[in-house]
Amino acid sequence: MSAAKRVQQWATFARTWHIFDCKWQDPYQSANVIKKYLMGLHKPIYHPMNDCGDVVVCINSREIALRGDEWRKRAYFHHTGYPGGASWTLAWELHNKDPTMIIKKAVYKSMKGNLQRRHTMERLFIYPGEEIPDDVMQNVSNQIRQQRLVPQRLDHIPEDEVQQYPKVMEYPSDYVLK
Amino acid sequence: MALLTKTPFSFLRNAVISTSIRTISTTKQLNIKEIREHKDGNKLIVEGVTVPSPRMELLVKSEKVAEEVLSVEKPTCYLCKLDLDVKHTDVLILSQFVRSDGCMLPRRVTGLCRRQQKKVSKMVTMAQKAGLMINLTPSYCKKDPKLRYAYKKFNTYFDEKTIFMKRIPDQRDKFKR
Ligand SMILES: [Zn+2]
Repeated sequence: MSAAKRVQQWATFARTWHIFDCKWQDPYQSANVIKKYLMGLHKPIYHPMNDCGDVVVCINSREIALRGDEWRKRAYFHHTGYPGGASWTLAWELHNKDPTMIIKKAVYKSMKGNLQRRHTMERLFIYPGEEIPDDVMQNVSNQIRQQRLVPQRLDHIPEDEVQQYPKVMEYPSDYVLK
Repeated sequence: MALLTKTPFSFLRNAVISTSIRTISTTKQLNIKEIREHKDGNKLIVEGVTVPSPRMELLVKSEKVAEEVLSVEKPTCYLCKLDLDVKHTDVLILSQFVRSDGCMLPRRVTGLCRRQQKKVSKMVTMAQKAGLMINLTPSYCKKDPKLRYAYKKFNTYFDEKTIFMKRIPDQRDKFKR
């Protein structure tokens, strides 16, 4: 095997580390994207018996965005196994307790339940903020594209840009400014 | 990370260059009123002063209004004619339809048609719930979306398709028999 072929072989089977910024992302939509990288579905060499999945590092999981009223409508079920041990936790209560849990459960649920799923989940790292340990960050070599645009707050837009923005509405001539 | 995302307000920039439709006349300067109070000795004078509208020169200009009026049989409002795809995240547009306390202006002030008024007011609500116009809120507001109560402190996004839905589909509907 020539040197070039040998390097190609290493590059093909090496695990790539991807980073994903969860800021203002829907966890259930981004789970379908993260899943592909975790399982290695984006690779041409993919096979269920081929251990070719990559590592995904999710940052800013505290800043995820849920749609509409899902924060108070979506419930997470848990049963302790004892009689009367069932409990339903609302999404915002769960996010208060552990800001990484919603994205973790979303990715876990997006994958098919087989023996490989637990091992695939071990390759997912979730951090609530932007700080990641250095030994994780130095492996990262790719960024997964975000699904949704991060909206900008009006008070974060510079004042002169707000003033220079084209005007759509005009007040009637007898309007009293409030 | 910001490099990967598209600039959100690019559509309006295109619209300003391409469209030149506008019903409001630009020949006469529109004036609006402001209430001023000042004391002259022991007399309190309250007067309504006519002031020029702020940022008047940035109003989207029109040149082909006459032929546009002839071609369109049904009179439509200026927002329909501009034909913008406004999302609830476009706070620079939505903040124009809002008072300084974040309250939506009534239809007699905005001059929108029924449908657009409903659409804009719902999108203003969405932007306020998402905390995107937190500086346009009543004075008792803490001006920080993260300090809001319970589930309100977390980020929420909205789907504009739900604005004209009679009933928004529920997550739990699939469990019903
Ligand atoms: Zn209209």
